[in-house]
Order: sequence, then C-alpha cells, then structure tokens
Amino acid sequence: MVFKAKRRTVVTTAAAVVVLLVAALVVTVFTHGNSSSASDDGNMVAYPAGHRPAAPDFAATSLTGAPINFASYRGKIVVLNVWGSWCAPCVGEGQTLKYLDEEYGPKGIAFLGDDIQDTPADALAFLRSAGITYPSVNDANGAVEQRLAIAVPISATPTTLVIDKTGHVAGVIEGAVTYPDMTTLLNDAAVTQ
Amino acid sequence: MTDVHSTTSKAAPASEAADLDREATRPFGTGPAEAAESGSGGAPGGSATGAGWGRWAWRQLTSMRTALILLFLLALGSVPGSILPQQGSDPASVTQYFTSHPALAPWLNRLGLFNVFAAPWFAAIYILLFASLVGCVVPRTFKLVGSARTPPPRAPRNLTRLPQSVTYPSALPPDAAVDAAATVLGGQRFRLRRPAAGDAGHWLAAEKGYLREVGNLLFHLSLLGVLLSIALGGLFGYKADELVTEGQTFSDTTAQLAEFHPGRLVSGSDLAQFSLTLDKFTANYINSGASIGQPAEFNANVSYTTTPGGATKTDSIQVNHPLSVDSVKVYLIGHGYAPEFTVRGRGGVAYQEATPFIPANTNTMLSDGVVKAPSASLGFEGVFVPTAYMAGGTTLESIFPAANNPEVSLIGYSGNLGLNSGAPQSIYQLDTSQMTEIAGGPHLMTPGSTWTLPGKLGSITYDGTKQWVSLAITYDPGQIPALVCGILAIAGLLLSFFVRRRRVFVRALPGPDGVGSVVTVGGLTRTDASGGFEDEFANLAVDIADASSPSSPSSPSSPTAGPAASDDHQKPEPNNQSETGA
Repeated sequence: MVFKAKRRTVVTTAAAVVVLLVAALVVTVFTHGNSSSASDDGNMVAYPAGHRPAAPDFAATSLTGAPINFASYRGKIVVLNVWGSWCAPCVGEGQTLKYLDEEYGPKGIAFLGDDIQDTPADALAFLRSAGITYPSVNDANGAVEQRLAIAVPISATPTTLVIDKTGHVAGVIEGAVTYPDMTTLLNDAAVTQ
Repeated sequence: MTDVHSTTSKAAPASEAADLDREATRPFGTGPAEAAESGSGGAPGGSATGAGWGRWAWRQLTSMRTALILLFLLALGSVPGSILPQQGSDPASVTQYFTSHPALAPWLNRLGLFNVFAAPWFAAIYILLFASLVGCVVPRTFKLVGSARTPPPRAPRNLTRLPQSVTYPSALPPDAAVDAAATVLGGQRFRLRRPAAGDAGHWLAAEKGYLREVGNLLFHLSLLGVLLSIALGGLFGYKADELVTEGQTFSDTTAQLAEFHPGRLVSGSDLAQFSLTLDKFTANYINSGASIGQPAEFNANVSYTTTPGGATKTDSIQVNHPLSVDSVKVYLIGHGYAPEFTVRGRGGVAYQEATPFIPANTNTMLSDGVVKAPSASLGFEGVFVPTAYMAGGTTLESIFPAANNPEVSLIGYSGNLGLNSGAPQSIYQLDTSQMTEIAGGPHLMTPGSTWTLPGKLGSITYDGTKQWVSLAITYDPGQIPALVCGILAIAGLLLSFFVRRRRVFVRALPGPDGVGSVVTVGGLTRTDASGGFEDEFANLAVDIADASSPSSPSSPSSPTAGPAASDDHQKPEPNNQSETGA
C-alpha cells in the first residue's frame, strides 16, 4: 500500500511537471509574440558591424527599362526602399526619402527603390509627381523582394534597408522611414570591420 | 468433489480464502491496492493542509467537469472575436470602430476584445484547458501501463463459484496436471501465474486480453498526440490570403501577402519560397434552366516556381483541388472581375492597371471598386456589371454572372486623395472628404470607351476586363500528425471495445484414493455480451482435460462436470451460471 501510494505521488508529480512545462512553453510563446505594429513610424533594427546579414545580389530592370545589377553597387552605402504606389505609407514617406537623397546623394550614398505589386505607369506617375529621381526596380512579381526577405525580415510595405559598402545589411526600417532613424542607420553603416 | 474442496479450505484461514476470492474477481485492469483505493476522493483534508488543498485543486482542475467548463468558456471567449473587428485580421476596421465608438472602444481594448486570441484571459483559459487535459490523460496513461503489467490474481479457492467452471479427474498427479494445463494455456498466449515458493496447493492463474489495455493506452496517448499536433500547427503553421489578377505574379513573402496570420513561432523567413502567376481564370455558369447563373466550374491556370529563379511549372487550381507546393497548400477561395483602366492627367498617364472590383452580389457579380490616381489628383468610384441591363432605362443591373456584356459606371472626383498623409487606407475605398465630385457622373462606359473629364482634368479609358482570384495559402505541419493520431485513437478505442480481458484458473487436488488428481478449471470475464467467452472456455477446458489425461488423449474418459452438470456428459461441459443474458 505504501509503495502504491508513493507511486501515485510520483505519477501525479510527473503529470504536474509536464503541465507546468507546457504552460511555461505556452506563456513564453504568448509573450514572445509577433508584435509587428503597423504604426506610422517604422520599427528600426540595426545590425552591428560583423553581425550583418549579406544582402543578396540580383539583376533586374528599372521602371524605365534600364538594367540594374545590384552587384555594381558594391563599395557604396545603399538605401534600398521597398515600396508601391498603392501603399499610402510609401507615398507618405516619399518626401523624406527625396530629401535624404538630395542631402546624402552627393556624399556618395546610393538610393534605389524596389517597386512591388505595381505597374510601371502608376509608379512612374507617383515618382514624377513627388519629384523623386533615383531609380526603382520594376519588381511587379516580387522576385527581388522575396530574395531580400530571405536575407532579412521584411514584414510590411514599405521597408527600407541600409546596406554597407561590403554588401551587408546594416539596418532595416519596417514601415515609413523618419529622418532621425535614417541618419542613425547611415552613420552606423559607415562603420564596417 | 465438494468434500475434497472443503478440506483444503480448512487448511487456510477462512479470512484469507475470502480475500483471495475477492482478489480473483477484482476489477480487470486494476491492481489490488488501486481497487481498494478507488472511490476515494472528496474534500481536502489531512494534517498537511497546504498539500491537501494543492491535491484538491489539482483533482478539481483535472476533472472532466472542469475540462468541459473550460471548453465552454473557450467557445464563449471566441464569440467577441467573431463579432468585433480584430487587430490581427482587419486593423482598418478596428480604427474605424474607435472613431465611431469613442467611449466604448477604449474599454473593449482594455479587455483585449480587439485581439481576443492573443488576450491574456484567453490564454489563461487555453492553458488551463490544456493543463486539465494533460493532467487527466498523463496519470491515466501511467495507470494503464501499470495495469497492463499487473500479473493475474491468485487462483481463488472455490473455482466452481466462478461463472464458468468444469471439474474432472486426471490420471496425472496434481503438479503434473497443472503443468499440463500451463502448457495448454501458455500455448494460447495466456499470461501465467504459478504459486510462489512456499505457497501451498497446486494452482495456475492465467489471464489474456491485455491488448484491451494496449488499446486503451493507445487511445489516451493518441489523444495527447492530437493535442500536440494542434499545438504544432498553431506554433509553426500559417495562413495567408492573396488576391491575384490574371497576368499578375506574387511571391510568398509577408510584405506581398494581403493577409498573413502566422503561427506563434513563424517568422517571415520561414515562408515557403514560391512565387505564383495567375495565367488565366475561367468560370463556367449554367446558362439555362431553373438554376441559371449558378456556377458550374471554376478553374485557375497558374504557373509557379518553388524557389526564386527555379524552373517554372504549371497547374490548375479548382475548388477543393488545391495546389501543393513545398508542403504548402494553395486553395482557390474567391473570384471577381478586374476592369482595366488608364487614367491620364495633365502630366500624362497617371494610372494604368487592372483594378480588382469586389462582388457586391455573388449571383450576378455586380461589383464595386475604386480607382486612385493620386498624381493626377483624380479618383473614381465604380460599379462593374458583367452582363449589363438597364432596368427601367435608369438603373444599371447585372442579369448574368459571366462577362457577356460588361459595363462600368463611374463617378469621378478630383482633389486630394489623402494618401500623402501616410496613414494606411484600404485600396478598395476612396476618401472623398477632400475631393469634389466631377460633373457628368455616373458615367456609363463600355470596353474601349474613354470619358474625357470636364475642365481639362484629364480622361479615363476603360480598356478591357480581366478576372482575379483570391487564394488561401495554408501551411499546417500538425495536419498529418493529427490525422494519424486521430486514426490511432479510433483504432485504440475499437481494440479496447472488442478485446475482453478474461481469466482462467486451474486448481488440482490429489485424487480421492491418492492416485491421480481432481482438476477444476474456472473462467471469468468482465463483459461478454457476444457470449464468445463461453465457447472459448469450453474449448480451453477440453484442451486442458486432454492434456492432463495422457491415457486417452482424444477425449477424457469420464469427466465429472461442475455441480450443475449431470454425470452422463462425455466431455467437460462448461457450467453457465451467469452472464448469459449480459
């Protein structure tokens, strides 16, 4: 009888431990969460030098039909903006990017758009009206965006990547860019190992 | 026979004999101690109050009643999730709810009612339910393992009291007769128990049907497996929706999917890396008879690549015939029309796109949509009809879902579309609060026609009509395990229904004149609705009698049956005292 009672206690304890482990797992998972907020200001992620994911190389055509070979951007800091003319936050951040391009372009920083799920007519009409002059990849089928998303998490449109001179991603802004965030990332990207 | 039996009874204390008889008929599948303990329960007590209360709380949590209450609460908790707009699936509607119910919405938000399935109280119910189920199933599993390993109980004193019994004389001495019976029962794969060293008497206890406990065990483990599979799907699976127009391609990434509901441990880089092009969509409708206009067939011809830059394959997706790509299933869940427009403003082409319109009436496919050309400061609200008919000469209606006579009716607006503010807005809604209506609307257009807007605002051309499909992309790694566990659970349940635990006891006493022995065989089963055990026992009894009577192997010469049997029986006949009508 004593032996049986002991075994029952062991069984109950084992069950309680299993339950607690599962509960702990569930709580961890629930608090871990996927907190991708679609707020007006984007979430910024900066990767320190030496821990930067490599940006994929791609060859594509621009909205105007010119070839774009991303490998040829090596040696420059690149601001790569994933956008679409249908996306209001993308339209909203257009003037910030235009201003950054005018300020940093002469300093050797390259700006490139990746126009997804769009038509060239719609996209060019927006770029013209916004006065944005840097090129954009015609990525209607999203192939370039998919390659980028394999390298770094891209959870929403717009997403902006800052890529350092060695072709590694120094930082990502999900959602519309802000001037302070962008200058922070551009300063970070200047530091490479 | 009875006097022989009674003498042996006297050899042992009467109380012990009663104990043994009780043990023989103890519930199948329980150990002696557990049988004695079963039925205990109730309020907490004992000296160690903390442990007592803890045990009481645990027992309450793992009770069936608590599990059912929690299940009910889970269902009840999901109700607001389907009534109120949810942050995860429809953030725009949540924002809208906040503006239309400024007093109520913050309170609902505090209660987590706009994100029910991630709310702490919902998680609490879920975790408690899981704990309740695990706490019920795990100890039960241990118990079943224990009972599957329990040896048969000792043979009772008086085997003739058992539901089935037969007695016959044997030429073999008692130990040899029991050995012979053991060989027969062992050959029939009974689990055997012999007297321990020092035990008096020659007996044998045999039990069969442990597969019943295996089935029970399988059922409970499979139940746990189903729970874990569901958790697996919830953690690592995802669901997504995407709308594709003919000729359009999308890649399976978070940014490109219209709606994305990831599992808790899914990140964007876990998505299958395929891309898919809708080449052509065909919808066939019944065009005569009572069910005119009913859909007959939908077929989406697609081409896809499984990896970026990989080889292109083609397939067709139909209703209930999804495309399987890289363990992801792509289902066809909706369709509609996408009229193609070109908008020209003062600076040239401002918009050129096949614009998905959403069906307002799925029978006639009359659809609503908007065209936004922010760079030309133009916007249009439109109604599309696949087969136009002017009811009463004034109202545009659709009389058939196929695009037999497509027309579009547009109302134009000029001004600020509100896109520059950067606030997210639906691509199916036009914010006309800062716009003025253009004269001449609603303007009816047929394919190829152009509406030149007054005041040199520009023009809009209706170029043609394409179709779109909405696709559901699902990945559920728990689906197959859940199916397998479900099948195993049913198999286990059937096994535990159809396999009976049955016990056979053999007791041999020295013969009346010191030569040979008197052998009694008794049988017992729990439920025997089909009566199968009677026949099985009769056959076993004959086999045992044959084996223990080497003089006449074919049939025992003159077996003496149990008390109810008469002497003229040639073969041992089972004594059916009970359970015949069970």
